[in-house]
Amino acid sequence: MVDRWLRREDERLLTGRGRFVADLRVPGCLDAVFVRSEVAHGTLREADCSAAREVPGVAGAWSAADLPDLPPMPDAPGVEGREWPALVKDRVRYPGEALAVVLGDDRYRAEDGAARVRVRVDPLPAVVTAEEAAGDEVRLFEGRSNVALRGEAGRPIGDEVWERAAVVVESRYRQQLLMPSPMECRTILCVPEGERLTVWSGHQAPHRLRHDLAGLLDRPEESIRVVVPDTGGAFGSKSAVFPEFIAVAWLAVRLGRPVRWVEDRRESLLVATRGRGQDQQVRLAADADGRLLAYELTVEADVGAYPHLGVAFPMQTAWMATGPYTTPEVHATVRSVLTNTMITYPYRGAGRPEATSPLERTMDVLAKRLDLDPADLRRRNLIPPDRFPYRTPTGRTYDSGDHPAALDLALRTLGYHGWRAEQARRRADPAALPVGIGLSCYVERSGGERGSVHDYVGVEAGEDGTVVARCGAASSGQSHATVFPALVAETLGVEPARVRLIEGDTDELPGGVGSFGSRSAQIDGAGLQHAATLLIEEARERAARMWDLPIEETAWSDGVVHPVRGTAAMGLSELVKRTGPLRIDERYEADMAFPFGAHAAVVEVDPDLGTVRVLQIVAVDDCGRALDPAVVRGQQFGSIVQGLGQALYEGVPFGDDGVPLLGYGLLDYLLPTYAEIPPIDLEETRTPTPRTPLGAKGAGESGCIGTPPAIVNAVADALRLDHPERLQMPLSPDVVWRAAA
Amino acid sequence: MKPAAFDYLAPRTVAEALDALAAGAQVLAGGQSLLLEMHLQRVHPDLVADINRIPGLDALTVSDGTLTVGALVRHRAFASPGAVPGPLGDLFGRAVGYIAHPPIRTRGTMAGSLAWAHPASEWCALAVALDAVVELRSTRGTREVPAGEYFRGPFQTAREPDELLTAVRYPLLAPDTGVAFTEHRRTGFSFAQVAVGAALTTRDGVITEARIGLANCADRPLRAHAAERALVGAEVSSWAFAAAGETAAEQDAAPVPEPYADVDYRRQVIAVLVARTLREAVPV
Amino acid sequence: MKITLSVNDDAYPLDVEPRRVLADALRDDCGLTGTHLGCEQGVCGACTVLVDGEAVRSCLMLAVQCDGVPIRTVEGLAGPGGEPHPLQRAFSAERGLQCGFCTPGFLMLAAGALERDPALGEEEVAALVGSNLCRCTGYEPIRRAITRAARDHQKGQDGRHLSA
Repeated sequence: MVDRWLRREDERLLTGRGRFVADLRVPGCLDAVFVRSEVAHGTLREADCSAAREVPGVAGAWSAADLPDLPPMPDAPGVEGREWPALVKDRVRYPGEALAVVLGDDRYRAEDGAARVRVRVDPLPAVVTAEEAAGDEVRLFEGRSNVALRGEAGRPIGDEVWERAAVVVESRYRQQLLMPSPMECRTILCVPEGERLTVWSGHQAPHRLRHDLAGLLDRPEESIRVVVPDTGGAFGSKSAVFPEFIAVAWLAVRLGRPVRWVEDRRESLLVATRGRGQDQQVRLAADADGRLLAYELTVEADVGAYPHLGVAFPMQTAWMATGPYTTPEVHATVRSVLTNTMITYPYRGAGRPEATSPLERTMDVLAKRLDLDPADLRRRNLIPPDRFPYRTPTGRTYDSGDHPAALDLALRTLGYHGWRAEQARRRADPAALPVGIGLSCYVERSGGERGSVHDYVGVEAGEDGTVVARCGAASSGQSHATVFPALVAETLGVEPARVRLIEGDTDELPGGVGSFGSRSAQIDGAGLQHAATLLIEEARERAARMWDLPIEETAWSDGVVHPVRGTAAMGLSELVKRTGPLRIDERYEADMAFPFGAHAAVVEVDPDLGTVRVLQIVAVDDCGRALDPAVVRGQQFGSIVQGLGQALYEGVPFGDDGVPLLGYGLLDYLLPTYAEIPPIDLEETRTPTPRTPLGAKGAGESGCIGTPPAIVNAVADALRLDHPERLQMPLSPDVVWRAAA
Repeated sequence: MKPAAFDYLAPRTVAEALDALAAGAQVLAGGQSLLLEMHLQRVHPDLVADINRIPGLDALTVSDGTLTVGALVRHRAFASPGAVPGPLGDLFGRAVGYIAHPPIRTRGTMAGSLAWAHPASEWCALAVALDAVVELRSTRGTREVPAGEYFRGPFQTAREPDELLTAVRYPLLAPDTGVAFTEHRRTGFSFAQVAVGAALTTRDGVITEARIGLANCADRPLRAHAAERALVGAEVSSWAFAAAGETAAEQDAAPVPEPYADVDYRRQVIAVLVARTLREAVPV
Repeated sequence: MKITLSVNDDAYPLDVEPRRVLADALRDDCGLTGTHLGCEQGVCGACTVLVDGEAVRSCLMLAVQCDGVPIRTVEGLAGPGGEPHPLQRAFSAERGLQCGFCTPGFLMLAAGALERDPALGEEEVAALVGSNLCRCTGYEPIRRAITRAARDHQKGQDGRHLSA
C-alpha cells in the first residue's frame, strides 16, 4: 500500500492522536497554578495561602515561606550570588514572578484557590531598558551592580582608521524583545512512582532537564526519567529548567502525587523567556571605493531580572559581528544589564539576528553615502569562496561558503533590475505609492559552541530485520522521526520503513544534548550517518569471521553483507540471529558550521498611514546538504514569517510601571497571520560543510536572521531615508509615518 | 485562565430572561467577548443567563423603512448579500469582514457588540452614524434609547444592569445613498486603530447628507458631526473630503493613546481614513 | 449540571459545572484530547471544533450550551472505515503541519467550510487560513492544503467510483 502520509508524525497529529503533555491522562494528577506578581519590581510583604487551602478541590497552597527547603534556580557559571528563587522570597524582580503555587484537582479548582491567596507587594521603581538599568540608580540586587557581564570580541580599532576612512557611518539600533510564542506554551508533568520520578515535558533538551532536576532535588540522575512527547513548537524557549518546573517537581516528590503545570497564554506573555533585547551602536568605515575598513559594534543587552540563563548570549552577537564581509578590523563589545523583565534567552536566531541586522542596515546607509548600489557595495566586500576556511577578526573560523553566488541568485530571483525600474517609474509619478528594495546578506553559526558540539547517537539492528536509530535530539516539529530514519536507511541501503527513531526519552538513551542552535541535522544527523557506517563495519567484521575471510574480502550493499567474490549473503536479521546483538553507541563530536545566505524584500509604503505592504520576499539560504529538502523549505518558510513578525509586528511595549502592555494576549502581541504573508520565493545554494562527512549545516533559523533587515532596508529605501535611525523595529505604521514625515 | 464559578440559566422566553436579569444575571449571547473577559477574570458574574435558546430573538426584519436586528442575529448574517436591503445592507456587508474572523462571526452578535461597547467596535460606530435605536427591556418595562445617547464610555452604556438589549433598529438608507467602510489595523487579528463608516447622498454634485461613524477615535464610538456639517452643501471634491477628514480628526475625535498609536498618529489616521472613506462613498 | 454531549456521533452523559468551557469538557471529560488549547482567548483557533456544523472556538463556548447539539472534533474527521478525510491527506501532502499543535483547529475550520461549500473560492480559503494562528509553517502550506482538499473533495464526489 502506498504510504499516504509524507511524514511519520503526520497520521497521529492529523487524527487527534498526538500526545502533548496536556493530553496525557494520569489518575490523581494535580494541576498547578501560580499566583503571580502584578508589579514589575517590589518588596514582598505578604503571601498568605491559608484561605486558598480551604477552597474545595485545592490540595495545597504554598508561598516561599511555606517551603523553606524549595531549591532556587541553578546558578549559571560566572554569575553566582544573584539567587533566583523558585518562588519569590522577599523581592519581586519581574512582572509575573511566582509568589505562590496552588495545586488543585483540576485547573479550575487550582485557579479558585489562587484567587484566594492574599498577596501584598510594595512597588519599587522598575527599570526595563538597559540604559535605565545600567546607571544602577535602581538596583535589582542590593550591593550588586545591574551590569552582570562585560565581554568583547576582536581588538579595539585605532582612531587613525576612522580618521583616514573616506566615509564613516554611525548609527543606533534597537533589537526589540520578542516572545517566541510556540502554539503550545511550556509544560511539565511529574509522576513519582516509588524511587522513580518520571517527568514529561515539551522540551528541547531532556538530558539537560534531567541533570538539572537531579541536582535540584538532590537525587541520582538515574532515578529520573525525562520523556519528551509531542511538543508544540519551541523556537528556543523550551530548553531550560524554569522556576515553575522546580516547584512542580519538588511538590510532586514531596506529596508523592503526580503534578502538572501547563502554562497558559496569559502567563506565557508575562513569564515566558523572551528573545533579542539589545540596544546597539555601530560605526562602519569604508574607503572611497566602498571597501570596508573597520566595523565597531557596541551592545547593551537587557537580559532580564536574573543573570542565570541569557546573560552570556549577547556574546554570540559579538562573535558574529563580522558577518559575511572581509572587513579587516572588527571590534564588538557587550554589556549585559539586568532589567525588571522575565529573562532574555535564545529565541530562533539567538544572537545572530542581532548581529546581522545592525550590519546590514548600516551597509545600506553606507551605500547611499557612497552613491553605490547596495548590491554592488556588498559584492565588493563579500568573502570570496576561495578564502575559506575564513578566520574573522571576531574569532570565528567560517567553514565554507559562496556568498556572491547566494547574493546573485537572490537578485536574479527577485528581478532586481525590474524592481529598480518600477521604483524609478513610481518616483516619477506623484500619485504612486513608493516601493523600496532591501537586501541582507548573513552568516549564521549552527551546531553550538565548542564543548557542546556533540551528541549521543546509536544504531541497532534487530533480529526481526528492523533497525532502531537513537539520538540525543528532541523534535518540536522538525520531523526527526521521518528524516533521521531515512538518513540511516540510506546509509545502510535498506528500506526507510525498516528504521525507526527513538529520541526524547532519557531511559532509552545513554546520553544526549538536545535540539537547539540548529544542531540536530548537523550533529545528530552526521552522527547517525557515522553510527550507521560503524554498524556496517561491525557487520562486515562479524561476517568476515564467520566466513573466515579477511574483512577486505567482504562488502556491504543494500543492507546485506556479502563476500566480494561468491554468492553468500547475509542480511542484518540473520547476522544478529547468528552473532548476537548488533548495536553501535557513539558520542559523536563535530565542529560548528556556518550556514549563510542572502535575502531580499520589496515593500510598498503608504506614507500617509505608515503602512508597509511587503510585495515580495526572496530567500536564498545555504545549509549545506539538506537531508530532506521539503522539510528544510518548511523550516525556511516558517522562519521567514517569524522574521517578518520581528520586522513589522511583534514587540513588548511597557507601561510606566514596567509591566508589559499585553493584557489581551495574542490580540496585543501580534503574531503574523495569513493576511500578512507576502509572496515568498525560496531558493538555495548548496555548500556542504567540510567538517562532517554528511555536509549538513543547520537550517531553520535563517529567516529570523536574514529577513528582518531586508524588510527594514526596503522601507528605508522606499522612503529614501538618508539616515533611517527612526526606523526601529517593529515598523508599526506609526513608526513608519513618523519616519516618512 | 478559567472562569470563576457561576450559576447558569437558559431561559426559554424573554420574560424568563428578564426575571434572571432582575436577579442580577449577566447575559450570554454570542459570548465571544464575555467569555474572553471571564477567562481573564475581569468579569465574574454570579449568574449567567444564556439567551441563545429563546425563540424569535434571531429575527432580522424590515418593515416601514426600519431594519430590526434581534439580539441573537450573528455577525455572519450581514455577510449574506441581500440580508439587509439597499445601501444599509451594502454598508453592513463591507463592515462585517473587519469583525474578527469567520468562527467569531459565526457566534458573535451585533446586539452583543452594542451591549459590550468596545470603543473599537465597528457596529457601535455604525450605530451612532446611522441613528440606530437600541431597545432595552426589563421587568420594569421597555424603552428605546438613540445610539447617540446610548454610549457613555469604554464598555459603558445607558443600559441598566437588569435590562436586556432585545433589538437594534436602523432606519434604512435611501436607495441613492453611497456607502463605504474602511479600517486601519496592524494585522488581521488586531483591533481597529481607527475605523470609519460613511454614508453620503448627493444631488448634482453637491453633498446633501453625510453620515460618518468613527470607531476607536475616542473612548466611545463617535459620529463626526462637525465633519458632516462641513460637508453638507459642499461640492463633491477631494478637497472637501480632505477638509472633512481634518475636521473629524481635530474637532470630532478625542483619541486615546495606546501602544503603537499615540494621539498625533491617531489624528493623522483619522484625517486620512475619513477622506478616503468619503471618496469611496460617493454615490455612482 | 447534567448534560449530554454528542460528539462524533457518540453520546457522552456528563455532569459539569456551568463554567466548564467546551474545550475542557471535550478534552478532560470525553477524553478527546485532539482539540488543543493554545490561548483560551478565542484568538489562536487551535481549539476550533464544529458545533452543529459551524466552526467555533471551543474555548469561547460553555459545555452546557452544547447539551444535545451535535459536535465534531478532529477525532471524528476520518470516514467511518478510518479512511482519512481529504483534508488530512492534503495537510500531509502539502506539509501543512510541523509541530501539529494548531493543526486540529485548522482541520475543523476547513472541514466546516468545505461541508457548507465544497467549491471554496480563493477568498474564502484566505479568510479561513487567516482565522487561526500557526507559528511553524508560515500558513502558505496550510492554504495549499485546504485548496488541494477542496479540489480532491470535489473530484472525489464527481468520480468516487474511479478512485481506488
